[in-house]
Amino acid sequence: MSANADRPPVIAPGYTPATVTDKISAVVLNKTPRWWYVGFAISFLAAQLLFITIAKLLVLTVGIWGINIPVAWGIDIVNFVWWIGIGHAGTLISAILLLLRQTWRTSINRFAEAMTLFAVAAAAQFVLFHTGRQWLAVYWLFPYPNTMGVWPQFRSPLMWDVFAVSTYATISALFWFVGLIPDLATLRDRSKHWFGKITYGMLAMGWRGSARHWHNYETASLLLAGLATPLVVSVHTVVSFDFAVGIIPGWHATIFPPYFVAGAIYSGFAMVMTLAIPLRKVFGLEDFITMRHLQNMAKIMLATGLIVAYGYGIELFMAWYSGNTFEQYMIHNRILGPYGWIWLLLLLCNVLTPQFLWLKKVRNSVLGLFFISIIVNIGMWLERFVIIVTSLHRDFLPSSWGMYTPTRWDWSFFVGTLGLFFSLMFLFIRFLPVISIFEMRGITTGHDFEEQAGEVKP
Amino acid sequence: MTESPWAPPLADLAVLGRRGLVVGALAGVVSAAGLVLNPAQFYRSYLVAFVFVLGVALGSLAISMLHHMSGGAWGLVIRRILEASSRTLPLVALFAVPLLFGLRHLYPWADPARVAGDEILRHRAIYMNPTFFTVRLAVCLLLWTVFAQALSRLSKKQDDAPAPGLERRMQLVAAPGLAVYCLLVTIASVDLLMSLDPHWYSAIYGVYVVGGQAISGMAFTLLVSLFLVRKGAMRGVLQPRHVHDLGNLLLAFTMLWAYFALSQFLIIWSGNLPEEIGFFHDRLGGGWGVLSVFLALFHFAVPFVFLLSRDFKRDIGKLAWAAGLLLFMRWVDLFWLASPAFHPGRLSVHWLDLTTPVALFGLWLAAFARELGTRSLLPANDPNLAVALEVHAHG
Repeated sequence: MSANADRPPVIAPGYTPATVTDKISAVVLNKTPRWWYVGFAISFLAAQLLFITIAKLLVLTVGIWGINIPVAWGIDIVNFVWWIGIGHAGTLISAILLLLRQTWRTSINRFAEAMTLFAVAAAAQFVLFHTGRQWLAVYWLFPYPNTMGVWPQFRSPLMWDVFAVSTYATISALFWFVGLIPDLATLRDRSKHWFGKITYGMLAMGWRGSARHWHNYETASLLLAGLATPLVVSVHTVVSFDFAVGIIPGWHATIFPPYFVAGAIYSGFAMVMTLAIPLRKVFGLEDFITMRHLQNMAKIMLATGLIVAYGYGIELFMAWYSGNTFEQYMIHNRILGPYGWIWLLLLLCNVLTPQFLWLKKVRNSVLGLFFISIIVNIGMWLERFVIIVTSLHRDFLPSSWGMYTPTRWDWSFFVGTLGLFFSLMFLFIRFLPVISIFEMRGITTGHDFEEQAGEVKP
Repeated sequence: MTESPWAPPLADLAVLGRRGLVVGALAGVVSAAGLVLNPAQFYRSYLVAFVFVLGVALGSLAISMLHHMSGGAWGLVIRRILEASSRTLPLVALFAVPLLFGLRHLYPWADPARVAGDEILRHRAIYMNPTFFTVRLAVCLLLWTVFAQALSRLSKKQDDAPAPGLERRMQLVAAPGLAVYCLLVTIASVDLLMSLDPHWYSAIYGVYVVGGQAISGMAFTLLVSLFLVRKGAMRGVLQPRHVHDLGNLLLAFTMLWAYFALSQFLIIWSGNLPEEIGFFHDRLGGGWGVLSVFLALFHFAVPFVFLLSRDFKRDIGKLAWAAGLLLFMRWVDLFWLASPAFHPGRLSVHWLDLTTPVALFGLWLAAFARELGTRSLLPANDPNLAVALEVHAHG
């Protein structure tokens, strides 16, 4: 939209629809590279840790974790919030940036959406297994008309969470799959092996690329974009309500909803960056995921990082302003208590580090961005730890104070979900096009999908 | 400048300005009588009027900074309106002066007797005292003015001679400007509005006020755009696709405001803590509840439904209705935030509540009309302008 000459392009010059198709589909259709086997093996091994932990958890229940009163929510919930937050960048890129007609989103939306799905899958493990007796969870989470007349508490955000997250998972999966259909047809037509032809052929659902198909396709993706847009806000808002409607100091703050949503987008873009930088390198996709993309993502990270910093600041100020003993002690304990070092580390990761993004030089350095994105990922994990654990471990009654230390089974569950996430990610980059082929073709011919998209919306 | 196709309609603006001046001055004289008759009520009404006008000017500044960050045709076609509106900030700062004489009528922390008998007010006294309050308000107004002037000066430079890099320099002002703006609005909204209630606090308050100011700025801009279109200025400039984008932004800001309002309500209602629930207790009972419902309906539900319609958003004549309603509701919202603190348990609207905003807004409008007349209505040398004005076949 802007005619700014010093900006890098969204796609390197000299590409035609044919060369774009060749280059992206080659990633899927060529022989599997050796590094893929190594990467997948490591991830899959880590995923086994998840299954072993789950098996043990089913037998012995959540007692194998470090949680105990007063800290009944430990890093299981930290990890849940962390994973679900990461997913938000994918939805933001695929839905909101589509509606805002930001052409640059095209090359990163596909794998960002995949990231969303896999992150939600990882997050779901924690909410499902932290319920203890999972076989009973159905009847305290879902409102089904049972003969005992037992209903879940409809006024509890924990109950809303079940709906928010499951809706989110459904819409994200549909959006991702609908977006894949034209590309699956491309792969079907280009596969040389019979197995590929049949598999991709079935998944392409009879796509022939007729005008009618395209018309339906564009209507469907706009409707899904419209449905997904409120989800970017609603899911993490409900997650923030899980904490904020309680009256625990450190949880009960009205700033939580917007501050959680900003934090989610912040961590999500950090994760997209962490994945995109190695991905473009190993597949030689630097012409498609250009410096422009990395710079724009860096700017979004800076903006959301500042909102998160604003949240930390306003919490400190309001605790002082309130004159409330418990609020003030919560802040005192957060900074100077036994977990104070984590709070300090959090400030270094989440507040200090993104300030480097003000510098154009840093935004132009791939390595610099990669490091910052990893630090922000760590920082956002620490943020949830600070919110959940330090608020719980010392509340109103000093006689019931306690400490929380995660056990090795806490960690193995977390590492296991990292394994699950990366296993799925490796499978995805091997068997499906990581960049939307047909939308990139659109960019090379100047047929701008988003321009039209903007015109069709209500 | 006179040959420019985008010259401001000076004669029409002069009429608008004169009307604003006359109505504002009349309402000002009546309000001044109120100051003699009932000083406490005068300051209460004046506070709401001041925060309302401040919100229009600051909202315009924020939207112009947002436009410098994001780019887009929608911003170029309204940039001069936003700039003219934010250049009035020195006048708004002048409007703040009378408030300083009425602090003890307004704020519990400005009353030494109350502070002495209240532990929380004593605790806050190091921050919430008349001197520091005045310093903070002055610094806020000064910094907002500095950012508005910096952007306006660069824009003027661009008009005088097209130079590469001016766009980037405006971005360099807008990026920190937006951050500083949000921070200062938070500080000022705690000072001006939240501290009316001696004990209540809410962390989302600053964000809520920021969202409201964005609505004020956008709604006012849309009304001015309609005025310019009616007067034949900017002929053929404001296309349906621009109006559509502006309508979408108005919708987005309205939704954001409602989101902040609902979050605040739901969290405080669920917690039901004695130090917090008082705010909503005051606003849901004794007649104020009617105003709360009115606010939910006309600050959100009704404009929301209309703004969903594509046809509605592409027609400036229709969209201006929603903008007018929302601009009025901005005043209602600020009234709802401030007044129950003075009259808990009993809905009370004084005639001064009506004359003071008319006075300030009228005088402010005169200043705005004068500012709008000083520049071309479009930034003629902006490198993106040609693209922004292209007529699309499906436009």
